[in-house]
Amino acid sequence: MSRLKDSRPGSAYQPAQPTTEPAVSSPAATELIALVTHEDRDRARDRWRVARARWKGRGWKSFGGLRLLWLLVGPGVLVFLGENDAPSMLSYSATGARFGVGFFLPFVILTFMMGLIVQEMTVRLGAVTHRGHAELIFDRFGKFWGFFSMGDLVLGNFLTLVTEFIGVRAGLGFFGVRPSIAVGAGLVLVLAAITTGRYWTWERITLGLAIFNGLFIPAALLAHPSWPQVGHALLTWTPLPRGDRGEILLLILADIGATVTPWMIFFQQSAVVDKGMQPRDIAAGRLDTVLGTLLASTFAIAAILATVPLFHHGINAADFQGAQFAQAIEPWIGHVGASLFALGIFEAGIVAAIAISTSSAYAFGEVLGMAHSLNRPIREAWPFYLFLLGSACAAAALVLIPHAPLEFIVLTVNVIAVLAMPPALAFLLLLVNDRDLMGEHANGFWGNLAGVTVTVLLVCAGLGFGLFTIFPKLLGG
Amino acid sequence: MKKKKPKRHARAHDPGSAALHAEHPDLQDPNVVLSLLEADQVVATKTRTRFGKRNLSVGARLLLWGLRVYVFVMLVIVLISVIRAVHGGQ
Repeated sequence: MSRLKDSRPGSAYQPAQPTTEPAVSSPAATELIALVTHEDRDRARDRWRVARARWKGRGWKSFGGLRLLWLLVGPGVLVFLGENDAPSMLSYSATGARFGVGFFLPFVILTFMMGLIVQEMTVRLGAVTHRGHAELIFDRFGKFWGFFSMGDLVLGNFLTLVTEFIGVRAGLGFFGVRPSIAVGAGLVLVLAAITTGRYWTWERITLGLAIFNGLFIPAALLAHPSWPQVGHALLTWTPLPRGDRGEILLLILADIGATVTPWMIFFQQSAVVDKGMQPRDIAAGRLDTVLGTLLASTFAIAAILATVPLFHHGINAADFQGAQFAQAIEPWIGHVGASLFALGIFEAGIVAAIAISTSSAYAFGEVLGMAHSLNRPIREAWPFYLFLLGSACAAAALVLIPHAPLEFIVLTVNVIAVLAMPPALAFLLLLVNDRDLMGEHANGFWGNLAGVTVTVLLVCAGLGFGLFTIFPKLLGG
Repeated sequence: MKKKKPKRHARAHDPGSAALHAEHPDLQDPNVVLSLLEADQVVATKTRTRFGKRNLSVGARLLLWGLRVYVFVMLVIVLISVIRAVHGGQ
């Protein structure tokens, strides 16, 4: 594999070996011995466990495979359960309440398939280059395009982070918790996750929290959905949504924005790098991403089904926020069901707040060339942790400011995510087709076809939204 | 399977392979650390090197500029939409 590398000014050596070679065998090994850091040691420990699981798994493959999966699962599941965040779950809830069981069930699954196609590419990029997405864009396309890309990410991430704390406040608000205490509790959880100084521990804590996204499943079961109707909708994409076409278009856009967003690309690639995944782990990384897609799409469908009683009873949920949905469905799914729904919104906000603030901090560290790893102790990478916590605190504070334009943010966040996605996908496709970087792991024909199709679909969805906004009567709205 | 055997054989001589047999790796030994990481994974390598800038083709530049204009125009449209929604709400 040919690699294009330049030494930075002041570099003592110029590595030119293929990345798959162990560092100990590289020409720079003698210099590297003196430069091993805490982060390297932590990552080496993770690699040792993976190598040992592979080695031990030779005899009894099934158990070894499970152990290996347990070690390598993480970024894919986290990114998809993180993207099942508060505004996303509210979009799904609004979809169920407005249109019931029908077209949107298979459509949401389609959006997750689009997400899977995109996220699989980030696994390969991270495992092969060992660089985060922001770093690669700056390296390969220069500062001009790099800052554009970062502008999209920073704006989108901050607005999304605000909506996560709106979700945290709304979720706990159902139980009568005061907004300041709810938001404070959210910040404490973000802080608890990052003070471990270890990527592995952070990942397991966040995965432990993320699995509570499954609370939407019992909430859906308590709504007693008609399973034959669900099966029919999944197979036939009917009944089609009827009514205000502008509203339908907005929900389509919101549901796409609930699944395919720029922060996911930056987050998963950086997490794959921080986890220390290597090209031989790509298959496991794909499995991790598929697992995340399956879990997140199941929970999203559950959120739709949980609010279907509102559709059957003709309750207008157009302006509902998190806690209002829980209160509105309580007569049909009971207090336990409504409580699970509210806790689900709280969890969705917390996990996404952790993942998105980490995504911003990774990009910040990569672009400024500062330490950017959860394997670094706080004293070694304090700007990284400060940015992570600072972005979370700023978003949390905004939620508590009286008369802050929260409605504006909630209205726009998913739409902005969809609109910012095509340029992010263009960079992703250019990078993953860069054979100098990717070698044999570059995209093939089908990968490119899928990637380009997703990009075109997103552009069309955005243009449809734009046309409808400028010419509202175009769709008869 | 045929491809995997030579790799395992090759690794049998490095410290990383020896570490696999131990219950706990001696990560204070930098040789063990470097044997478990790829050359590009070591922090010192990453901080001292970077991938060179690639030359974008005319088509790629047009694509990126086109998408940039698209985002700008769409953001203006989102603003219009939100202003309408807020005024409509009032």
